[in-house]
Amino acid sequence: MGFFTRTKEHTPCTVEISHKFESLHAHVRFNNGAVIHPGDEVQVQGPEIMAPFGEIVTEERDAIILRASTIERLWTKATGDLEVMELCEFSFSEEVTL
Amino acid sequence: MNMHSADATTAEEALAIQETIDSDMATEIAMQDTLLTPRFYTTDFDELDAIDVSHIRDEWDPLIDRMVSDPNKGHFKKNADWDEVDWDGMDPQLKKEFIDFLISSCTAEFSGCVLYKEMKRRGSNEEITQLFQLMARDEARHAGFINDALREAGVAVNLGFLTQKKKYTYFRPKFIYYATYLSEKIGYARYITIFRHLEQNPQYRFHPIFKWFEEWCNDEFAHGEAFALLMKSDPKLTRGVNVLWIKFFLTAVYATMYIRDHQRPAFHEALGVDTDWYAHEVFTKTSKLSEQIFPITLDIDNPRWEAGLKRLQKANVDLADAKKQGRKVAQLGASIRAGLAFVSLFTIPSKKHAVPAKTRLEPAY
Repeated sequence: MGFFTRTKEHTPCTVEISHKFESLHAHVRFNNGAVIHPGDEVQVQGPEIMAPFGEIVTEERDAIILRASTIERLWTKATGDLEVMELCEFSFSEEVTL
Repeated sequence: MNMHSADATTAEEALAIQETIDSDMATEIAMQDTLLTPRFYTTDFDELDAIDVSHIRDEWDPLIDRMVSDPNKGHFKKNADWDEVDWDGMDPQLKKEFIDFLISSCTAEFSGCVLYKEMKRRGSNEEITQLFQLMARDEARHAGFINDALREAGVAVNLGFLTQKKKYTYFRPKFIYYATYLSEKIGYARYITIFRHLEQNPQYRFHPIFKWFEEWCNDEFAHGEAFALLMKSDPKLTRGVNVLWIKFFLTAVYATMYIRDHQRPAFHEALGVDTDWYAHEVFTKTSKLSEQIFPITLDIDNPRWEAGLKRLQKANVDLADAKKQGRKVAQLGASIRAGLAFVSLFTIPSKKHAVPAKTRLEPAY
């Protein structure tokens, strides 16, 4: 990771997508223990993973982590809080009219 | 592992698998596809690890024990109470607003699950990771339940977002506590108010999902309790300059709820709920509950409160109109009016009170 430059990392990951009635979830676990920092970007490689209704799909994939530069990381830490209201649930989308 | 088109080694094989899946789910072909787009966050995980609950153990342990015993397990299942929904006969505007409600709620539960799971995975303090694991379980369960209601309505959620590029932002732990605590408690107040109203007026219950609101909101209540205890574990979080942050979050959360609800008139009319009455009712309940941990509440009976909310709502509508028509000056004007309305709400003197020594509450509305 440079001060101004981003670096790219490849890491194997396990993706679990549950499209079951009991649980709707989707998680990515990096098999090598890679840790995500503020401002990093992650993209799981390969075609879209779709779990049919009622099933859990687990796949081994490769993920690319685009590491934020130091300056980007600091910027994200300093400004991320501005979006914190996203954590609140308001039952409806922000669209004024539908 | 399930057979899946992505497992195929050739394109032909992939197509064959996809066809099998498609014919298995023939009803899904005509479905409207909605991509869930949760956001991804990081926080200061060292700070989470440093949380010490030993001095609040008398309140912490019973809450965790109850969550482990999982009283709502098996509740989120369709049974004979899930009556037929006349989707074709539903007023088109109501249908739009109701589906917006289901999709927004499903996304929120799903995002909650992603956030809590991340906190569970990254932390090393076992008591904290256990809590987040339990909350992730509840959120995933709620999301699954809402998803099922969406399927009935002909909307299929697409979980394919993982293969899209996603950026992780950052929130300080204390902001996560304030925002999530309020979100869970206001969620409880919102659901229980509708549930009690429909108990009295069942003729307005236009969809069976409202019958499940009571247990659903009891989970929200319990999650709010957990965040109240997390804040209690560090008294600095509810003192000094942080009281101003608390006031900011209370104002922002209440105002956003007011605006969003007033943007969905058909939904509330179908429920027989007056949105002004509903807002006041929900604010009253949430304020009462939040006295368990916050040293202030907003003065929602101050005449400036209602007036400020109305101005904010109007400015928000004008802003959206101006954006749609590309009128820059009008956009600027509406933004300034919205900002001033918010400042006016924020500067209403708050009500102070002593925070009780015992924090834990039970759902009683």
